[in-house]
Amino acid sequence: MNEIKNEDLKVNVHEAESNEEWEPKIIAFLCNWCSYAGADLAGVSRIQYPPSIRIVRVPCSGRVNPFFIVKSLTDGWDGVIVSGCHPGDCHYISGNLVARRRFAILKDLLEFFGIERDRVHFMWASAAEGERFAKLVTKVTKLVKGFGPNKKFVKKW
Amino acid sequence: MSNIQKENEEIERFIREVSRDLFKENKVDLIIGYGKGSIPFNTTPIFISEENDIDKLIWNNFCYINLSRYLLPSLNDFIRENKDKNLKIGVISKGCTARSIIQLIIENQIKPENVVIIGMECNGILNRKKIEKEFGDLEITDILINGDNIIVKGDKFEKELAFNDYLSELCKACKIRAPPISSKVSDIIVGKSQEVSSIEEDDFSDISEFESKSSEEKWAHISELLKDCTRCYACREACPFCYCNLCFIDQNLPTWFSKTSNLGEIVIFHMIRALHVAGRCVACGACSNACPMGIDLTIITRKLEKIVKERFDFTAGLDLDTLPPMMTFKMDDKEEFMLEED
Amino acid sequence: MSERILKKEDINKFYEAASKTYKFYGPVREKGNIIFKEISNPEDLVLDYFNSKIPPKEIVLPRTETLFEYEMKGNDIIINDDVVPDEKVLLFGIRPCDAYSFTLLETFFKEGKYQDDLFIKRRKNTTLIGIGCNEPKSTCFCTSVNTHPHDKENVDVFLTDLKDKYLVVPISEKGKDLVKDLNWLEKATEKDLEKALKLSETAELSIKTKLDLKDLHEFLMKNFNSELWKESSQSCIGCGTCAFLCPTCSCFDVIDEEDKYNNRGRRVRVWDTCQFCIYTLHTSGHNPRPGRIQRFRNRILHKFSYYPIKQGLIGCVGCGRCIQYCPVNNDLRKIINKFNELKNKEKEEMVVA
Repeated sequence: MNEIKNEDLKVNVHEAESNEEWEPKIIAFLCNWCSYAGADLAGVSRIQYPPSIRIVRVPCSGRVNPFFIVKSLTDGWDGVIVSGCHPGDCHYISGNLVARRRFAILKDLLEFFGIERDRVHFMWASAAEGERFAKLVTKVTKLVKGFGPNKKFVKKW
Repeated sequence: MSNIQKENEEIERFIREVSRDLFKENKVDLIIGYGKGSIPFNTTPIFISEENDIDKLIWNNFCYINLSRYLLPSLNDFIRENKDKNLKIGVISKGCTARSIIQLIIENQIKPENVVIIGMECNGILNRKKIEKEFGDLEITDILINGDNIIVKGDKFEKELAFNDYLSELCKACKIRAPPISSKVSDIIVGKSQEVSSIEEDDFSDISEFESKSSEEKWAHISELLKDCTRCYACREACPFCYCNLCFIDQNLPTWFSKTSNLGEIVIFHMIRALHVAGRCVACGACSNACPMGIDLTIITRKLEKIVKERFDFTAGLDLDTLPPMMTFKMDDKEEFMLEED
Repeated sequence: MSERILKKEDINKFYEAASKTYKFYGPVREKGNIIFKEISNPEDLVLDYFNSKIPPKEIVLPRTETLFEYEMKGNDIIINDDVVPDEKVLLFGIRPCDAYSFTLLETFFKEGKYQDDLFIKRRKNTTLIGIGCNEPKSTCFCTSVNTHPHDKENVDVFLTDLKDKYLVVPISEKGKDLVKDLNWLEKATEKDLEKALKLSETAELSIKTKLDLKDLHEFLMKNFNSELWKESSQSCIGCGTCAFLCPTCSCFDVIDEEDKYNNRGRRVRVWDTCQFCIYTLHTSGHNPRPGRIQRFRNRILHKFSYYPIKQGLIGCVGCGRCIQYCPVNNDLRKIINKFNELKNKEKEEMVVA
């Protein structure tokens, strides 16, 4: 289910190639106790990863309302990442478990309506996993770059 | 060769008989059912409080409204105001209507002691907009069923169409035609019902076919489907599960999404409404039938049923014990969609 | 004699001539529905139709209309409120009931001290070419609301469909100028005029629905608290379909939108309806129309009571769309008849007393 279909890539690669300077803008909702600390660890350890993400700190991944994700796409963000604690490690016991079900349905629906599956991502990253955080962000940047700028939900002025 | 007209007459006779008995035994104070419409293709909901009016109840293949909509909020207010009288309201229910009522009981919107599900076995609803399109703008004066065909009459024409060709897409795929009965629910169902164990598996092959398209094709198809939307919110008002006091689209502080006719915003409204009814939608088709522009939301409602069936093995409105998937969580939920390192 | 004949085979020629000066809007069929759209290819024009689903009022009162736009440049705010384009629009094929609705909407938007500039500009730029109804449907009742299937009053040019050709009658000054420019149109004969008159009479006689609206406006106001409102609104789900498809409904909501990443924004108006539950919701949380009954009653009173009392006109054009498309078949005719029965019963009781 995680594979990128060839047709999806072929669509915008041409545009991305011709505009090699284009860097995607990805908004990242990181939970305060695990993922935000993990991102901080990546920074302190001087691990290199693409400067494509802009971070929004939330107390828990369960705070992330699906509206945040959809509104980000409407506002013009090219990609969205939501990251929380691993299941079982949530600071608020079960916030990430509630969030997991929400994200599952949201991801299925976004894909069904025609938004490329790999624009919106959910992941678990703990406070000790600085390197993992960097690797995952690099992966997302590459995927989103392949799709080109987000045009579908963006409001037309 | 089935005789649909005979089936309809039998169902009509049956619901009148059951309703009459309920009034005689003082088991209901009000019955909500379908009455004759003033123009062809239409039926109107009727509210019967006396035994003499029972013969106004009808059944035909245009009874498309989901009557459970009338249980909230106004009737519910009426029930609450008359708490000491312990009112009971009977609802003529096809399978989908009964499932919505059961789901509303799970969500604590109606009390099981206030409702009586008058069960019947539905034989399908015709897609009236599809039939109208066959005749352009000519006025249709009468519709009759003859054997396996529908006879459509106008001032200057008469044509026969095959019944099965014009059956609504949702009804073609429907597996739960009569109210589903399980232990706790059996007290409130009278009339016909079907065992939950006897319900056939739905393979959702029509939806899987759509899902195999590329995202560009899907976006094009969805845009084409929804671009006529006038943002009248008839779909929201017709849905029994859209009972929020303040809908997300009306929210002002902050304003999440706009109400304009911009295509992206139209798609967002429908997607978020789908997200909010996920796990509760019974694919009754009330939304598609209420739409003044004739938009057919079948693929969206079927997709919602497919998501919860595949991920959580859940079907809405079957029994009072299982919590809907969005009201609970499990430690070992599937997380194949989560991002992992290469 | 100013009447002319436009042969249906010459429609393309008419389109070519008109589209030089006007943006040509006419009926096209999309997904089975008729819609009034801008036409770029005259082959798309549908000449054999009844009426559109969405009323043509959307040309002078669009579903989404920008009121003004603003942009921030440094410390300056630049506002652009000249948003209505200066183009002339020709609306071909509007029915007399919808044309009458344009007149009704004008009385609403031009009333009093504050005139709606955008609507007025759009209306001024629009030329209406009406086509009379030869075959009204059973849900039409235009004759009960002071108009009729071949009403020439509210259009600029009136066409009567004589099967293979149209009888062209210029009505207003705008219309007379338009027809004069089309000097290749043949002159109409006496026979054509007779045929058109016959069609008009037949159409008027074929209207089946007749509603007695005389003095109903006072009666409805007096019976504001009648139990009949509860009974009539019982099946209404408040979906707003009747208002969205009504040619005379004109309520709108104003929304502000912001593109914060690009320092610009705009104010937009969108169609609204009194049937929405938040229509009269105050910021305090109080809602003077809290339920279905009050909202339903408001719609009927607005059309059949407030409009007659304030403007002297019935606020309904008898197009029948609300009857055809109501999802729960809450028939307006039944409701008016019930009130008329009550009115007659009261009159009888008064006479007896």
